[in-house]
This record gives sequence, structure tokens and C-alpha cells, in this order.
Amino acid sequence: MKLGDQLQFVRQNMKRNKTRLFMTILATAMGCAFLIVLASVGFGVQKSIVDRIVGDRLVTSIEVPGKDRDVNDNQGIHSEDIQYFHSIPKVKAVTFKYWVNQPIVIKANGAVIDNDRMLMVDFNAEQQSGTTLSAGRWPEKDNEIVVGYNVFGVNDEGVSKAADRLEQVVKLHVDHYDGGKLATKELDAVIVGVWNEPKREWIEDKAIYIGEGLIGQIEAVTGTLAGEIPYFDETPDPKQLEQRLSEIPKAGEPRQFGGVTVVADKASDVKGISDTLREKSYYVYSVADEVSQINVFFLILKIGLIFVGAIAVLIASIGIFNTMTMAVTERAQDIGIMKAIGAHPSVIKRVFLLESAMIGIIGAVFGTVVAYGISVAVNAGLPALVSMAMGEKLPEGFRFSIIPAYLALLACSISLVVAMLSGYRPAKRATAIDVLSALRRDI
Amino acid sequence: MMIQMSGISHQFTIGKRAKEKVVPVLKNIHLQVEKGEIMAIVGRSGSGKSTLLNLMSGYIRPTEGRIVVAGQDVTGLTEGQWADFRLANYGFIFQSFQLIPGLTAAENVELPLVLKGVDKALRKRRTEELLEQVGMAEYMTHYPGELSGGQQQRVSVARALVMEPPIVLADEPTGSLDSENEKSLLTMIRQLNHELGITFVIITHDEQVAAIANRTLRLRDGAVQHPVPVSGSVQGGVGI
Repeated sequence: MKLGDQLQFVRQNMKRNKTRLFMTILATAMGCAFLIVLASVGFGVQKSIVDRIVGDRLVTSIEVPGKDRDVNDNQGIHSEDIQYFHSIPKVKAVTFKYWVNQPIVIKANGAVIDNDRMLMVDFNAEQQSGTTLSAGRWPEKDNEIVVGYNVFGVNDEGVSKAADRLEQVVKLHVDHYDGGKLATKELDAVIVGVWNEPKREWIEDKAIYIGEGLIGQIEAVTGTLAGEIPYFDETPDPKQLEQRLSEIPKAGEPRQFGGVTVVADKASDVKGISDTLREKSYYVYSVADEVSQINVFFLILKIGLIFVGAIAVLIASIGIFNTMTMAVTERAQDIGIMKAIGAHPSVIKRVFLLESAMIGIIGAVFGTVVAYGISVAVNAGLPALVSMAMGEKLPEGFRFSIIPAYLALLACSISLVVAMLSGYRPAKRATAIDVLSALRRDI
Repeated sequence: MMIQMSGISHQFTIGKRAKEKVVPVLKNIHLQVEKGEIMAIVGRSGSGKSTLLNLMSGYIRPTEGRIVVAGQDVTGLTEGQWADFRLANYGFIFQSFQLIPGLTAAENVELPLVLKGVDKALRKRRTEELLEQVGMAEYMTHYPGELSGGQQQRVSVARALVMEPPIVLADEPTGSLDSENEKSLLTMIRQLNHELGITFVIITHDEQVAAIANRTLRLRDGAVQHPVPVSGSVQGGVGI
């Protein structure tokens, strides 16, 4: 017997007692809706809490402060480490910060620009990682720079004044030693962008962000790595200067990067990449680590809620069992006739299992639709209710109930499995119906 | 040889535990049904004739003996194997028609084809042909409850023949019919036997029904009373 014919048969059978069928489907739908709504509270509260914890932090970023000194010769992150990070699958970008080791004075129109540090960054990587500028554009040439949000201060509305300085040429006064004497060389640079606003209002960003090209020019002037030079209270004698300069790494030696952040394609990739990095003895920290602890708690909570909800579906299954048992009893003669003319027992069993599965599916679909409706109503109405009843205002965007697609699918699957289990015994009973008794024949 | 039953005995156990009573129903029956013949099994109520048919149908199993149908030993078939065997080899006509009330005449006739997994178009054509053949073409969409006894029996004959089985087992086929419908059904059986060579085994207590058979087996108290030899040629030689 083909599946299409079995379904047709099931449809015909289901039409026989519509009231009983409706009540059974209603019970299943209620059970399924209860399960989904209950679990959706777990999902909703989890998302709302995690969102608050994560805040504006990039959930896909993994901070790599260094390497395990017990395993590696050097604790710092170098170029080859950055290259290795790029080679890890599902890594979107690798950002870093590299400090210029000289308090370079920057002047615009003769006035000193107030800054607290100069950092070399990979502008392309910053763009890929999702870093944004509050004004201007990303540098394209070696001498183009980006200034921190607070470098030129903020106006009364708290908006950076740096936006007014875009395309302004500034001069970098790079100190170096020329013939044993401290000298200054001016390098031209153009402000093309303003870094995004710091997320925490008490933080001020007074950094100057430069690219690899410009730091190369600085290093060419000083002859040292990161533009570092020694300073003396008095003019040093040549031997003393040579001694101090020899202690400073030369330009071209390996850089040691700070603030290294590996950015994953998706939040779900963070754990895999973190594990890979840990295996290679890197120190790793990500917001996802923090969130994962909370997620474990909510996972247990959600499992508990789904379990409680599943009990409602189990109660509904008693209705399905009852309906199917009644159906088998009522159709005993039909079953007998079918068996008498050659229906295979497995076909009889399958038809009844299909019927109980149909009840489960229809109930689950209705239940899911109702659950979505309740979820929308709860999210819309409960904050207002809490505000009215308790005088407390919930955080904006707080959602009590979220129904991810997989929760709906899980609930439907549970309903289907429970419905089929409920129908199994009646279906088996149907196959055991005695032909002669069903036909009421004289023996 | 279409059906061969050798040394068939059957007994029922009745009563509750510790007070069980064994009732022998059939005793050492030997029976052969030739291909294309109509065999009538006649006997009073309780003679064991229906039990014999039930054994042939596979609804019950013999306590002793061996049954061979269409060259296949069916004695040890499982329930599932029996179902397939019945679908392929037997057509059934019951005294009380045994049509499924929730299905139309056409759906009832179509049922064995549905069970066999035959394509819808072919099913429809075959069903229409059969209902036409038994004079029920205009009642296709009627439910059994909307048909007379004679009409229901015609539908059940159409259902019995829809799979083109080599054997039709009929249990008191005229038992619920008036004389006119009885005559019409018997004519139909003889015609089908004559034209299509279908083997019929008919259980009856009606001598008029038994009269269309090539051979009649008389049962009394579970034993063959006296076999009647073949009357005329078997392969449709009796005529209508």
C-alpha cells in the first residue's frame, strides 16, 4: 500500500469522529504551546541578560595577551604569531596595537596637539573587524593618520571636535640623535579620520593612530625599533650614548604587538578558535568565555523548562492514546475485513501510527502558532504590566519570551514522538484483531 | 490441482483454565479442488464447513494436516505471508458482504488494489470495469448503507474479482439474498467460472446453490459424509 493511499485512508478515518479528533488535537496543541511558551521564557531572559553583559563589546573577538612563558621562549606576540592567527579557519581579522616608543610632539599650525600615545594599527584589519570611525575615512596613504575621539576635545553636546580638523596637515616632531646631539625631524601627516567614540563615557581616547608606513618613516629617522631613543638630562658623551643606543632594539628587528585581538566570523566560531589558540599555548580571553558560564546556567534552566513542558505533552498523549484505542475498537470490523482480503499486518499498524502522528503534527503546528502569539503578547504587554503594578521600568528591549526556530522544531518533534508512542500500542492491537471475531462469523 | 488438503483435523479449546474442553471440529479431512471447478461444501450448521473454509483462507491453522494451494504449501505461513498470499490468490464473497461502511462501492472494490499498491489510474479503470460487469456502474459513489442486499453482494463479487484471483472462496454467498438476487448471483458465478476459469469453493447449506457445483463435498460432524464425483468436464464444461 502506497504512502499516499495510507494518508488518504487516515484522512477518511479521521473524519469519522470530528469532535473527538478536535478535542485530542486541542489537548496536543495546548501541551505543545505550553512547552514552547515555558521554554521561551528561558530563551528570552537569557538573551536579555547576555545582551546586557556583552553590551557593545564585540562578542566575536578573542583577546590574545601573550603566550605561556613555560612553553614558549618569549611571551610576546610577534609577526609570525599574527600570520598564524590569520591562517586559522573562520578568523575574519586580526587586530593589534603597537606603541610608538617616543613621546612625539604633534603640531598643527604651530600649536601642539594634545595626545597621550601614538599607536600603529592595521587599518585594513580594523575595518574588517568592524571598527568604525566617528568621522572621516580610513587612511589610504602612508602619511595619513586617524586621531582619537578626544584628541581635540568635545563640544557641549559631547561630540568630538576632531571632525573639524579632517584633511588638516600636522607635523610630527621626531626626536633622534644626529652626530651625538639630540635633533628633531619633522614628518608631515594628514588627519583623515576620527576613531569611534569610547564605549565607556569615563574613558578618553587621546591616541594618534598611524599605519605601518608612517612608523617605518619614524624608525628610519631614529634607527631604532618603534622610534625609541634614550633621553639624558645633560648632553651625553658619545660612549654613553652609544652604550644606551646599543641597548635599544634596532629598526627592522621583530616587533612585539600588544592588544592583539582575533576576530571570528561568527560568535559560534569563537569557542573553536579559542580552543585552537589554547592548544598552541596562547593566553586567550573572550567575552564568549564570560557569557558561556551564564549560558551553562541558562542551558540547565531551559532543559528544566522543556522537561516540565514535555510533561504537558505527555498528559496530552493520554488523550491520543485514548482516541486511538477508541478508533481501533470502533474500526475492528473494518480492520477485520481488510485483513480478511489480504491487508498485511504491518500496513494496518502503519495506518494507525500515521493517524496518531497526524494528530501529533496538527496539534504541534497549532500549538506552535498559538505559542508565537502568546510570546508576542507577553513581550508587548508584560513590561507595561510590570511598570503599572510595581512601578519598575524594565530595560529597553528586554524580552521575556523568545522562540527560536529550533525550539519550535524541538517541541514539534517531542509532540510527534509522544503521539507516535501513544499510538503504538493501539496500532499493535489493531494488527492483533482476530479476523473471524471481527467478521462475526460462525466457527 | 488448485487446493489440496491432506489429513486435516481441527479442534477448538473452549472454557476457562482448569475447565478447558477440547471440541474436535474436523476429523482427518482429505480434499482436492481441481483448477477451474466449482466445488460446493455442504453440511448442516456445526458440521465444520465454515471451519474448513477458514483453514483454506488462513484465518485459522489446522491442528493436524497439510494444505497446498496453487502448488504452494501454505500450512506454515506466518500471518504476514498469509496476507500476501490471500491478496494474490483469493477472492472472497461473504454471506454478510463485509463491505466497509465508510467507503463507497468503488472504494470497496478498489481496496485490494490499494493494498497491492496499484497505480491510481489503473485502479480506477479496473474498478469501473468490474462494477460495470456486475451491473453496478451507476452505484459507484454509493455507500454500502445506501444499497440493497443484492447490490451489496454484487459489489462484494466485484471486489473478489478485482485482483483477478485464480480462486474465489464464497461463504454462504446467497445467505442474505432473496430468491431473485440468489439466482442472479449463481448465474454470475457460473459465468465467471465458465468464461474466466476461476475456481470457486462455495460453502452452503442450500441444495440449489450446491446444484451449480461440479462436485459437492458433504460434511457431517466434522467428517466427509460421502464425496460426489466430478459431474462433467471441469474447465468450464458445465455451462450456464
